[in-house]
Amino acid sequence: MIDTQFLMEMIRSELAEIVGLDYVSTKESDKLVYSSDWAWMPQMWLDRGQPLKTPDFIVHPGSAPEISEIMEVANKYRIPVVPWGGGSGTQGGALPIFGGILLDTKRMNKIIAIDEKSLTVTAQAGIIISELEWAVNEKGLMFPHYAASSNCATLGGALAPRGTGTISTKYGKAEDMLLSMQIVLPTGEIIRTPPVPKHAAGPDWFRLFLGAEGTFGVITEATVRLDYLPEARLMRAVLFDDLGKALEAGRLIMTRRLDPLVIRLYDHHSTATQVKKILGYDYHGAYVVIGFDGDPDIAALQEKKALQICAELGAQDLGREPGERWWDHRYDFYYPPKSLKLPWMYGTTETVATFDKIEPLYWAEKRAVEEGFAEHNVQFIGHFSHWFHWGVMLYSRFIIEEPPQDAVEALRLHNRVWNAAMQAVIANGGMINEHHGVGLKLSRYMRRQYGEAWPLLVKIKKTIDPNGIMNPGKTGFGF
Amino acid sequence: MPIENVILTTDLCRYCLMCRHVAPVEHVTHRETLSPHGIALVIASVRRGLLEWNEDSVDVVYGASDNGNSRAHCVFDNPLPEAIAAARSEIAAQGLAPASAYQVDAALQAWGTPFAQQLPERAERKGEVALFVGDEARYLWPQALPAALQLLQAAGVDPVLIGQGRSNGFIPSSLGFPGTAQEIARANLAELEASGANRMLVLSPGDYFTFHQLYDERLGIQWPEDVELEEVTPFLARQLEGGGLRLKRSVDQTPYAYVDPTHAVRAPARHAAPRLLLSAVMQDKPRELFWRKERGHPVGSTALQFTHPHIAGQLTLARLEDAQSSGARWLLSDDPGTLSKLEGLAQGFGLRVQGLFELLAEQLDDQTI
Repeated sequence: MIDTQFLMEMIRSELAEIVGLDYVSTKESDKLVYSSDWAWMPQMWLDRGQPLKTPDFIVHPGSAPEISEIMEVANKYRIPVVPWGGGSGTQGGALPIFGGILLDTKRMNKIIAIDEKSLTVTAQAGIIISELEWAVNEKGLMFPHYAASSNCATLGGALAPRGTGTISTKYGKAEDMLLSMQIVLPTGEIIRTPPVPKHAAGPDWFRLFLGAEGTFGVITEATVRLDYLPEARLMRAVLFDDLGKALEAGRLIMTRRLDPLVIRLYDHHSTATQVKKILGYDYHGAYVVIGFDGDPDIAALQEKKALQICAELGAQDLGREPGERWWDHRYDFYYPPKSLKLPWMYGTTETVATFDKIEPLYWAEKRAVEEGFAEHNVQFIGHFSHWFHWGVMLYSRFIIEEPPQDAVEALRLHNRVWNAAMQAVIANGGMINEHHGVGLKLSRYMRRQYGEAWPLLVKIKKTIDPNGIMNPGKTGFGF
Repeated sequence: MPIENVILTTDLCRYCLMCRHVAPVEHVTHRETLSPHGIALVIASVRRGLLEWNEDSVDVVYGASDNGNSRAHCVFDNPLPEAIAAARSEIAAQGLAPASAYQVDAALQAWGTPFAQQLPERAERKGEVALFVGDEARYLWPQALPAALQLLQAAGVDPVLIGQGRSNGFIPSSLGFPGTAQEIARANLAELEASGANRMLVLSPGDYFTFHQLYDERLGIQWPEDVELEEVTPFLARQLEGGGLRLKRSVDQTPYAYVDPTHAVRAPARHAAPRLLLSAVMQDKPRELFWRKERGHPVGSTALQFTHPHIAGQLTLARLEDAQSSGARWLLSDDPGTLSKLEGLAQGFGLRVQGLFELLAEQLDDQTI
């Protein structure tokens, strides 16, 4: 570790030679800001006036070859490299928990090419997603990864944790939009994955880097799929008395291949709290937004069929306005003061499971959290928002409005609630997350999640990153 | 802004990343610390004892551009620029602000402007309509005033000139000297009152924001209820639409772009006006910049030009690069401060810079005059 000023200066000088003096910082203000990402844990820690482990160096590389040289320095001195995109991860995936080099990729933000024939864009990984979206919008196209974090997250940050956006039900997860990418390996090699993702030329090895959250290298460039901006976007809302019937409606819409843009199903508690607070509707039941887009005639027919399914299951059609209002304000849920925020304690214990398991899982997790922590007046809310043809993602959250003020006690309670939620998820056939990534928070569950397969992943990690420099402590891997 | 509101606002913003995509300083420096949330986190961390005010942390707080993008893009209108200005005033009161800030403040106190050692000219007559000239139009881009007057007269308005050579008060407020800003604001309002005008026109969105919003929110000074405030560009656009202004088409076919000036995001209703006027005089549509209208980025004409000239220069260069990549070879804008910064660096990009008012004045239809 870097324990002397002499060594610090030696490393700083080497990094400055690579990227230029202006792009290496050891300032206290920078160290503090880069010590926390968007996870509740570090934010709470700082909020209570407790310092966090900070990076030793904040480096802003301008190219893949520069990152390659930085890897050489990191391997030589055996210091960690923590990639940083927008810092918007909720699981502590970008926390520099062992210090070292914090690699902010946002200087690498150029659009390299827009291919209007194949409908792809190639861009450096540090570009902010909204900026990329604006650029392709000017050509009548869209990058359909409409994540709530699009305003702050980077393209690389969407791919590294296998992110999901609002309209994933039709357009897929970020990883589904990926054609190819450039990666700097921990050992410094700059590699490119094949130009197309669908082929039969051996194993699908490039997917190793998706979900690795920077533990297998740094994504520096990506070519992703685009779509035409839709001619029509039809939004509508329905209300169910019964959550099970709402889930069944979603299942039928998906399995009958009606191709919805979005199905956002809020449970009763979310409808009564979040939907009321942000959208101003006082509904009692499960509020469901359903959307279709594309050709106006086809979208209208798809919507008609979906509404028939909902009606047959007893839903009340709320009309177009509550659906459109949700669409227009879908990101307002994440702006303070109406977002979940400190001093509250909260966590998003999101998961995904097949249709046969999802409702029992929901009730099991809800029971585990609400009954296990009743003395803390915990609230459990959830919505089902990313649908597949085989199952659905549950965006479950817990909220404790009056958590312990002591930072250690608060962190312990947070971990206990998470633990109860994750045990319920795993026991009921769910995954420990669907799109927020593993980061630091879920690292401890990786062995449990993967069982006998876990040692294989550890072997791969050791092969790719023999000195263990890349983002140590994350996605289940140590330092 | 009272300290409790500074705390509330910076606490709301310190972990909110939702305006990152439009943050101009972070966009050119790539430093998370110079994003709106980074600056808010630094201010909040000083209060929590995690940092102290020193050269490093003060440098961060003075690194914000104060051009309004963060607030304009906040769904809940969190007044972060106002909170940063208030935090700067605490820093300045402790003698910890950058040395250049005190130098600018001294100049503002002595001359009412940081741009010249000359006192403002007083209004010489009374009238129903006043035109606030300010110091940027007086000292940095003087050609704007005669052109604007020519256009206004063509539209039947003969304004009394006020604030000739005096700051509107934005710079001292932004640098953390609300006392100086209040003095300047009172002088401007006294001159307005003495003019007898019931309507005041201004030359830029920065002026509009300062009189319309900043005086009230940051300085506690109310804009006189009986005085209507309007920017010249939207006024001219209305006149054009109503037939009160006639313009002829230019023969110049150089590809051009309109640069939404610094603070344009603070006056969103204005975005169409310059484009409407240009459509009346140009052969073709403008090449639109990527950072335009509601996502308009500033040039380095805010207080950064004094405390962080390097960042101010980067902001201006970024606008010029944006213009160059649009294919434009001719840049137009209406704000004197924006124009002066653009012209200072435009040559290296092969771009010609011209004021919108000057262009429009050249294209006045003789029948109007």
